[in-house]
Amino acid sequence: MPHMRKYVSIARASLSVIFVYRAGFALNMIGSVFYVVAMFYLWQTIFLGTGALGGFTWPEMKAYLLVAFLLNSLMTWYDEWIMGQDVREGRVATDLARPIDFQAKRFADAVGPIPFELFSALLVGAVVITVFGGIALPADPLHLALFMVSAVLATLLKFAIVYCVSMTAFWTTGMYGIVVARSAIQNLFSGALIPLVFFPGWLQGIAAALPFQGLISTPALTYLGMQDLRTTALMMSIQAVWAVGLLVLGRLLWRGAVRAVTINGG
Amino acid sequence: MPLIEAKGLTKKFRQAVKEPGLTGSLKHLFTRQYRDKMAVDHIDLSVEAGESVAYLGPNGAGKSTTIKMLTGILVPTEGRLIVDGLVPHEKRQQNARKMGVVFGQRTQLWWDIPVVESFNLARDMYEIPARRYKENLAEFTELLGLEDFLNIPAGKISLGQRMRADLCMALLHDPMLLYLDEPTIGLDIAVKDSIRRFVRSLVEERGTTVMLTTHDLGDIEDICRRIVIIDNGKIIHDGDLAALKDTYARDRVIHFQLARQPVDMGPICAGLPACEVATDGLRLSVRFDRFEFAAGEIAAAVMPHVEVIDFRIDEPEVEDLIRKVYLGQLSLSVEPKASEAPEAPEAAIEV
Repeated sequence: MPHMRKYVSIARASLSVIFVYRAGFALNMIGSVFYVVAMFYLWQTIFLGTGALGGFTWPEMKAYLLVAFLLNSLMTWYDEWIMGQDVREGRVATDLARPIDFQAKRFADAVGPIPFELFSALLVGAVVITVFGGIALPADPLHLALFMVSAVLATLLKFAIVYCVSMTAFWTTGMYGIVVARSAIQNLFSGALIPLVFFPGWLQGIAAALPFQGLISTPALTYLGMQDLRTTALMMSIQAVWAVGLLVLGRLLWRGAVRAVTINGG
Repeated sequence: MPLIEAKGLTKKFRQAVKEPGLTGSLKHLFTRQYRDKMAVDHIDLSVEAGESVAYLGPNGAGKSTTIKMLTGILVPTEGRLIVDGLVPHEKRQQNARKMGVVFGQRTQLWWDIPVVESFNLARDMYEIPARRYKENLAEFTELLGLEDFLNIPAGKISLGQRMRADLCMALLHDPMLLYLDEPTIGLDIAVKDSIRRFVRSLVEERGTTVMLTTHDLGDIEDICRRIVIIDNGKIIHDGDLAALKDTYARDRVIHFQLARQPVDMGPICAGLPACEVATDGLRLSVRFDRFEFAAGEIAAAVMPHVEVIDFRIDEPEVEDLIRKVYLGQLSLSVEPKASEAPEAPEAAIEV
């Protein structure tokens, strides 16, 4: 890519901003530690006295929860709220007056903090592993490799979803509600709260038709190797199609939004 | 070919009209009513490379909207706009590479990171060659006095420092065009001064084309030769600053400081028909039309009757002029000097 460098620089700047707000970030992290510990105890109780539930053994369930936690820890900084502020405070106009692609810039902003997020999530993960022990490892090296690809696709998909939803900022000012609504739907249908196999059939049908399963369920199941390779390949293709499709949709929405935009002030 | 060429350029905003109160809000939910607001109404504007243009108008006249169209931020509703051979909003990125823009009301700097890192980002975003970047950064740092706060985040520096840093950021990539949207708003005189001096040197030494919107007439006199006035979305004046003064600033006031109180004003007034003569103690003021009289004639008419210690002549301030234009007290429909005639619109202003 010929113009890669500018986006790398933007990502780097975005990472250094994280360090400015390290206190907020640390609090966030502590919150998510409590959350993951609570989830572990909750599922431990559910698994008590049972060998396996919905095809999961307890060590597999622990691995699932950890993978879900890890994926949820990435790209936490980027949400619709930021876009809302950018629209309200006219920073969108500033970006339009620069020789940068808007979506690529947002992507760089979102990706920048990932090294730090990954590092802290792995740290928390290591502590949890030591405390709880007995976590299922990836089925084999192939599944580990596939999981990594799937995790990258999941991150792309996460960006694409948030980017599309954030375009509503051009038409509404209630971004807080939108963040909350999107997070709730995402948590349910991605399998972050409960693996999708525990859903009743009709709800599973809905989840399968939505892009969210690609965020947690697909990479987590790939890690565990719980599906045969063909199913895994199919799920990952669906993940990729959603990611690319929503990235394109985001571009179209952006174009529409720019046409419609009336920046405050005359 | 001019650098900026606009023909019939128009921007219409759709504004939601809401009745007051809760019932109004409820009504608005079901029956939306909109009203079109003409922010910019069929303006023609042509700017040559190297010109420095002041773009003036009261609040809400359409200045910023015009700038936003020129920079490619806003898409025009109607009309044609070409900036250096490109339609700005269609070739947004290409257009962005050639221009610098400073909005006085908001910063382009990254809020949380040191100023110099914002500059480094500009280097990468505009793909400025390393050497050129270094030269420019060194030059601007010195001219604008940025040394002291290069390593402080933009969120922690003063407004005056921020404006100077913003100017630097907008110019690092050697833009041929610089748009300044109220660059001196809220700044103290010293900072205003240094910014004006800096922009003037850009125009003179680098040949940068500058388009400036402002409410501060000091900005204009220091930086611009040409002045374009917009009101209600329409251009109501476009011409030389000096010509504007010549045409509309006809009144002069000459003040005499007298040695003794004049006994009889009769002969003085008689010698100055069509002039306003006023006295205040030892001061005598005569307001005259400088196309009718020369200042010397006035002095010659006064001197024989009184003993004059000192005198001075007041020229009207540009500020007064512009104020009169805004208020509609000065109708620009009066055919001005031939040199500006082609661009002076015939529309008189309504109060």
